[in-house]
Amino acid sequence: MSRRARLVFFAVAVAALAVALGVGLAGLPSFGAQLSAYARMLNELAPGQRHVTDVVSAISFDYRGIDTLFEEFILLSAVAGISVLLRPLSDETRRLPQDKAPDRTIPPPSPAVWLLAVFLSSLLLLTGIETVTHGQLTPGGGFQGGVILASVLYVVYLGTNYVTVERFQPDALLEASDGLGASGYVLIGLLGLLAGTSFLSNVVGLGVTGDAVSGGTIQLLNVVVGVEVAGGFAILASEFLDQTSVIRTKRR
Amino acid sequence: MDHFVSMSAVIPASVVVPLIGAALMAGFSGQLPRWARDLIAIAVAIATCTLTLILMVSSAGRPMIYWFSGWRPAGGMVIGIDYAVGPLGAGMASLAGLLVVAALVYCWRYFDGARGRYHALVLIFLAGSVDFCLTGDLFNLFVAFELVAVTAFGLTGYNAGHPAPLQGAINFAVTNSLGGMTVLMGVGFLYARTGSLNLAQIGQALAGRHPDGLVVVAFALLAGGFLIKAAVVPFHFWLPDAYGSAPIPVCVLFAGVLSELGLFGLIRVWVTVFSGLAGGPGPRMRAVLLGLGIATALVGAVMALAQTQLKRMLAFVTMSHLGIYLIGVGLLTPLGLAGASLLVIGDALAKSALFLGVGVVQHQRRSVSELKLRGRGRGLAITGVTVALGALVLADLPPFVSSDGHALLVSAADQAGLPWLEIVIALTVVLSSGAVLRAAGRIWLGWGTAESPSPDAGTADDSGDEAEDRPDTTDPAASDDGPEGRERSPRPSRAPLTMVLPPLALLAIGLGLGLAPGLEAHSAAAAAAFSDRAAYAAQVLGTRGGPTTASGRVAAAASHAVSAGGLLTDLGQVAVALCVAAIALDRRTVRLRRALATGTEWLRRLHSGLVGDQVTWLVAGLALLAALAGVALR
Amino acid sequence: MSVLAYGVVAWLFLIGIYGVVTSRNLIHLVVCLSVAQSATDILLLEIGYRAGGHAPVFVNLPAHPGPAVDAVMQALALTDVVVGAAVTALLLALVVQVHKRAGTLDPDQLRATRD
Repeated sequence: MSRRARLVFFAVAVAALAVALGVGLAGLPSFGAQLSAYARMLNELAPGQRHVTDVVSAISFDYRGIDTLFEEFILLSAVAGISVLLRPLSDETRRLPQDKAPDRTIPPPSPAVWLLAVFLSSLLLLTGIETVTHGQLTPGGGFQGGVILASVLYVVYLGTNYVTVERFQPDALLEASDGLGASGYVLIGLLGLLAGTSFLSNVVGLGVTGDAVSGGTIQLLNVVVGVEVAGGFAILASEFLDQTSVIRTKRR
Repeated sequence: MDHFVSMSAVIPASVVVPLIGAALMAGFSGQLPRWARDLIAIAVAIATCTLTLILMVSSAGRPMIYWFSGWRPAGGMVIGIDYAVGPLGAGMASLAGLLVVAALVYCWRYFDGARGRYHALVLIFLAGSVDFCLTGDLFNLFVAFELVAVTAFGLTGYNAGHPAPLQGAINFAVTNSLGGMTVLMGVGFLYARTGSLNLAQIGQALAGRHPDGLVVVAFALLAGGFLIKAAVVPFHFWLPDAYGSAPIPVCVLFAGVLSELGLFGLIRVWVTVFSGLAGGPGPRMRAVLLGLGIATALVGAVMALAQTQLKRMLAFVTMSHLGIYLIGVGLLTPLGLAGASLLVIGDALAKSALFLGVGVVQHQRRSVSELKLRGRGRGLAITGVTVALGALVLADLPPFVSSDGHALLVSAADQAGLPWLEIVIALTVVLSSGAVLRAAGRIWLGWGTAESPSPDAGTADDSGDEAEDRPDTTDPAASDDGPEGRERSPRPSRAPLTMVLPPLALLAIGLGLGLAPGLEAHSAAAAAAFSDRAAYAAQVLGTRGGPTTASGRVAAAASHAVSAGGLLTDLGQVAVALCVAAIALDRRTVRLRRALATGTEWLRRLHSGLVGDQVTWLVAGLALLAALAGVALR
Repeated sequence: MSVLAYGVVAWLFLIGIYGVVTSRNLIHLVVCLSVAQSATDILLLEIGYRAGGHAPVFVNLPAHPGPAVDAVMQALALTDVVVGAAVTALLLALVVQVHKRAGTLDPDQLRATRD
């Protein structure tokens, strides 16, 4: 279709869809008026049943844990897909970035930038670990903490240069952590089968509500997911960085 | 009360096995030698297929409900997530497993550049498909939908060195993720109304009520998302772009599993959630679904004839058959569903054989253009037989499974008082199989001309070269010159057995299943069990009662469906398909073909490959679906 | 209040799709898709909202806490965010390769798959 025809067609179609959506949205209960019985029940029971204070984590990793397993694998497949899409193809080669002036190496980063990077990355590392391991107590958890941990790589790259990043984040390690995180979730789930109940049952000791170690498998799963997400996003970062900095067309 | 609850470890194992395999592939395959990677992946796929087959057999008499994390329903309210295993779902999952095995064997030592990530993606695709087919939770259905989609996006763009697969992947990703968004909105609406995410419980909450605007729009959004995945008109524009440029083994998975999952999702949600609505399963909803199915079937068939790029042609053939399945499903009867299921199985085997056969041709002759390959099929005799046989099986050649499915479907249409559907199906099938047979005749027998009747025979001629032991880029100058270009890089004179045998094996399985006694009765019983909403709700929620299904009657009707008349119709279809191919190849019909080409010019022009156009059609389709649902459900 | 709250959902979804349809740059298209995605997240969270409610975290609560909001919807929204991030990342990787191979970022200039 020509752009004009497309625009006219779209205008009519989107108006009709807006009406349909409006009809649907109008049937929703009034904003903020009610809570489903399911949600009320879980809010009341979860802290007692699972010794956690963050009910969202309990739902994600216990009551509806199998959803989160597949969600984790969505992330794994996205990372694998991106690695496949951005891999160096046969007409490309990897060439480390060089200074345009051939008679010197890349100048090192300024001490101020480097210091800031060290400070920020340490802060992010600690915050990430705290978020991952306290997911059952306060908002946070494996996914959120994993992303924070992965951002350490970005900060290191910004504060130094590509070569340093590559030295400290070997691909094999990142891939291994990605794979370990994903398989770790499944293995923890198998504990339930071994204990004679269902897959992904919470069969580890639940501890006391509010303790640093509580919630049983909820906390373990958070850690495992954190490892996987951190590895995954770090791989993403390095793949995109590779594409911009390192992968070049072969000169014929 | 816990009559149907199963603690069998086979149920979670059917997803755990491929997931663990995929995780290990993704994480550690760099350390493994190439042959080990392929072997482990194939072993995992075989194990998954076996597990799902076990589930199919053991759930035949009564369904198995498995509660994850140990959370059984309490006080009539569902707390956790369940798998509701029935023979139909488990059968679909087994089909996925089988096709994954075939695809992995086919690409033995094929995809090396990506180390183990290709295998990981394929295994996750399998795990997601199994989850989609077995789950009883609406949000889990959405998550599985997205999982299968995300792996598919990555796999489509595998040959990232060419613009065609990349564009196909982008169109695929944009349209299907919009589909995922509409599904999620539908889920949200249903939760807001019923307070549950479990299919059975939502269905119970909606049963017997008259649907209002919210429920109608929720249905339209859910159905829209699944129909996008199932590539039904007008949501189908992404399919030829994606299926026509993805690597061959990936096309096998897509054609056999991916789009059929969309239809499975549609009928699953319809049966468990919406079929209990007051005034719901009436002739109007049936008319809507049948209309969409007929449109899809005919558009696919016509477009298939117009193609000269083999993969794109097979993509449209796939689409035309999806239309037929939607006709079967849209009859909203167990017999129609049974017919559609058998067709799905039989056609999946045949379509996969066709794609793999085209893959052999591409591997040995470096092209997928029907015109450029004219007469160059000599030396690839086995593949020629495979391709011709595959096309004939798609035309419902007895005694393959497809012909049984066709018989059931025709019988269901007769029962519903719509015998003219048989003509529509026959027309679709002869046109699409005719297109493939025409290509086979041109390539292997050298018939026909080397030019196409239409002056601007599309640019979709890029073969989307496979990334094997050949450079990823295609030098444009080399693609259209004569023998000199070929001799530059020597090809092995024979195609490897791992590429030639799998398609034949798939066809043999189709023959074997077709000869198996009682297949129709089993599938009819499975479909009847699947279609009974009240019984399903009773089984999941553990309540007493719920009428048992009239599966006996349906099974009896099914075993009478295959008759001499049906056999003759099938053979007739095969004969007419061969005639279509012959007419298309005859030099004397040039004027007829040119007239047809100009007549369908507008339809071909619509398939522009531009994502903006495709999303516009998507929006229009959603709005139309909402309007139709409003009329059909009230 | 309901009209505004739910109207935002419809607006974001439709304006995101409008952006996708009229886009001249693939990166802009991906971001518009992400905007449409956020509409679904907001819908889930709004369905789960309870007036006067607090987050479903039962620690350090005031003396008379009101009801907690719906934790299930929050878990679902979390999953949706992850899915959206995954798809966006994949699309951006595709865009990077398209720019290299097709030489353009204009979706209407891509001519590799058409009839």
